[in-house]
Amino acid sequence: MDLFLPYIACLTFALALFAALRPTKLSVRILMIAICVAAVGWLFGLIIGSLSNFNNTSQGVFFVIFSTCSIAAAIRMITHSRPVYSALYFVLVVLSTAGLFLLLEAEFMAFALVIVYAGAILITYMFVLMLANQASGVDSESNPTYDSIPREPAAAVGVGFLLLCLVTGTVISGSSSLPPQGVEESQWATLEHLPKQLESSVMELDPAFSWPPIQSAQDSLLHYDGGEVFVVSSDGTKVVLPESFKPRNTQQVGWSLVNEFPVSLELAGVILLMAMFGAVILARRAIELGEEEKRNILLGSSESDEGGTA
Amino acid sequence: MTSSALAGYLLVSGLLLVIGLVGFLARRNLIVMFLCTELMFQGAAIAFVAIGRYLFDYSGQVMVIFILTVAAAEAALALALVVLLHRQGETLDADAYGELSE
Repeated sequence: MDLFLPYIACLTFALALFAALRPTKLSVRILMIAICVAAVGWLFGLIIGSLSNFNNTSQGVFFVIFSTCSIAAAIRMITHSRPVYSALYFVLVVLSTAGLFLLLEAEFMAFALVIVYAGAILITYMFVLMLANQASGVDSESNPTYDSIPREPAAAVGVGFLLLCLVTGTVISGSSSLPPQGVEESQWATLEHLPKQLESSVMELDPAFSWPPIQSAQDSLLHYDGGEVFVVSSDGTKVVLPESFKPRNTQQVGWSLVNEFPVSLELAGVILLMAMFGAVILARRAIELGEEEKRNILLGSSESDEGGTA
Repeated sequence: MTSSALAGYLLVSGLLLVIGLVGFLARRNLIVMFLCTELMFQGAAIAFVAIGRYLFDYSGQVMVIFILTVAAAEAALALALVVLLHRQGETLDADAYGELSE
């Protein structure tokens, strides 16, 4: 595919982003953000082609809605001169990302994202922002200059433009040489690692099912044929498993997490523990004690009374 | 999911990364700078989940769990540092802390 038009779209995006970053009137800023989003839409049109490339058209429409939302909110977040509003726009980015995850059939990650990001991390940010505003006595109407005047917007947008060109070029040239799409059947493989669930679901379909003897460890209980998944009993009866018995996304992620990344899981726990220690040590305030209080603590209250009279 | 749809998701993730980078370089408020790193994490997470969905490989979503962990740890530590700096210098301007050596 010709790279000229995508790069022009990237350039439009970068110029409009630069104009939106500079301190201007709100209406100009909104216009520039609209131009940014339009350039992004053009870029999407060039790369995706048509919405029929998605599984179905409604999925494509939702993809357009969520991606537009997230990108517009992200731009508004870095251009807004009030940090609290930046944090709120970031919540919007998180929510639309969760929507994209739902489209990608990653419902566990979508809800984890909303709970952890929008629920915990962003609340921490809001607390610190409000603490800082309160401590420095900034009244809510006027912004400090460091929030309204950006630092080197031209250099920042230049770097961003180069990176965007790189990403776009890679996506365009790489999408033709992608590895083949994974096979749907691989989703069933997890079911073999959940013997209780496999057994109960087969028993539900055929109560008289007798399991075949296991010959070797590599033997697969599930057989695939033309989109159908079935198990074969010892006397040759075939039981086809319906789609509803496929392991859920959460089961798949859980299996992958504890089967393939057990050490990383432990390390993640250690990282969180260390972060907690670090935050506690950094944020605690040393208590200032006067002479009298120090003596009281060192000697105990009764002895300090005697020392005072002596 | 076709490869063009995957390209669309990857483009969204790249754009979020680029916007986060521009924000990190251009903004001067320390807290907003850290918010922009969270934006870059979001971009990476979308790329992981999209490629995982394309290949039916659930390691992509596991990586997002680790991203969430690192993001939470980073937020706690970075914000504690910001609070500490704010107590010393009474401002959130990153340029004001050009010389921290004492």
